[in-house]
Amino acid sequence: MSEFSEGLAEILEVEAAEITPDYELGAAWDSLAIVSTIALIDEVYDRSVGVQELEDCKTVGDIQRLVEAQGA
Amino acid sequence: MRPPNQLPGSVPARIVGVATHLPDRVLTNEELAAQFPEWPAEKILEKTGIRERRIAADGETALDLGYQAACKLLDREEGLREAVDFLIFCTQAPDYVLPTSACILQDRLGLGTHVGALDINLGCSGFVYGLALSSSLIASGAARNVLLVTADTYSKYINDRDKSVRTLFGDGAAATLIRAGDGSCQAALGPFVFGSDGSGAKALIVEAGGFRLPASAATAEERTDRFGNIRNQQNLYMDGAGVMAFTLREIPQVYAQLLEKSGTSAGDYDYVVLHQANKFILDVLQRKLGLAGNRMPRRYEDVGNTVSSTIPLVLAGLFEGGKLTAGTRIMVLGFGVGLSWAGGVIQF
Repeated sequence: MSEFSEGLAEILEVEAAEITPDYELGAAWDSLAIVSTIALIDEVYDRSVGVQELEDCKTVGDIQRLVEAQGA
Repeated sequence: MRPPNQLPGSVPARIVGVATHLPDRVLTNEELAAQFPEWPAEKILEKTGIRERRIAADGETALDLGYQAACKLLDREEGLREAVDFLIFCTQAPDYVLPTSACILQDRLGLGTHVGALDINLGCSGFVYGLALSSSLIASGAARNVLLVTADTYSKYINDRDKSVRTLFGDGAAATLIRAGDGSCQAALGPFVFGSDGSGAKALIVEAGGFRLPASAATAEERTDRFGNIRNQQNLYMDGAGVMAFTLREIPQVYAQLLEKSGTSAGDYDYVVLHQANKFILDVLQRKLGLAGNRMPRRYEDVGNTVSSTIPLVLAGLFEGGKLTAGTRIMVLGFGVGLSWAGGVIQF
């Protein structure tokens, strides 16, 4: 999870320590962040998630749950 | 040492040369940043790898750009103009719905009236499809000197207040001459692999203005998307995330397919030239395909994504740098709008 968290921190332009499941994506969750996250999920987990579902995520936890659901 | 034999599915044919043309007007990151304050110039460069892109003037069409590129190419050598017997014009911004823009280009270039001419409506995969068509025409004996012109002006579809696509796309053209091989040269084109997925049609689209959704007052109404980009249905729309997902899903497989079809392996290629969408996608593909940086040439910093001309723009640079000499083998891979993709091998 930590490589993923670090990647997310870089995408959202915050410190890695701030990436907790409750962290709200907010305005930083723009088209560039989403595209970057698709690439990050591919790199770290070798998985793909639904684009619409990813766009609808509101927190880091939402993203993590989406990724985990794909792995099942 | 690479085997000198022709690959299965290849056609003796040579890319004689490539010329390119870009319109004069430059759209810099600074200009974009002035309009979109939350999108500073350094960030644009860092995230997309693009510093500037060229924009066609009002009244300057893709055909005009293609004409300039073709003239540059044909003027290089005595007799080239007369030798052309087929013209393929690849664009998604034709001069007219009809007639065929390639016919108009035939006339403007002063090519003979015995020349075959047709348009192909493809974007980022267009150059590779064009090469495949050219090699087939040559293989059948239908043509001996095919002039393949790629040209586009996506800027004319783009809404000035849609920063997502305005950042990425640039206008430009390229002209490539493909000649039937004579017995002596080892140059060859192919094999090729193709792919199409129309379920992704809406990922990159100008929705209104054709017959499915004719232009109207309603389609001219601007809307703001969830990211703050403004566009109407007559403007270019790109679902960046959808295109990224498609690219990650398909392109590594196409690469593998082409290696298999040609009976080659990764080490058999001097260069792999991908469609130059932007730095981000290329970084991802470089990692996924396991390519060394020096074997994956790039050009987007000064021109952005010129659609069907991105690959020939790289080839032109390789030619100028003396990198495409006899014995060089490269792979070209175009992918994008359609969704459409094609890969091919070029043996010099």
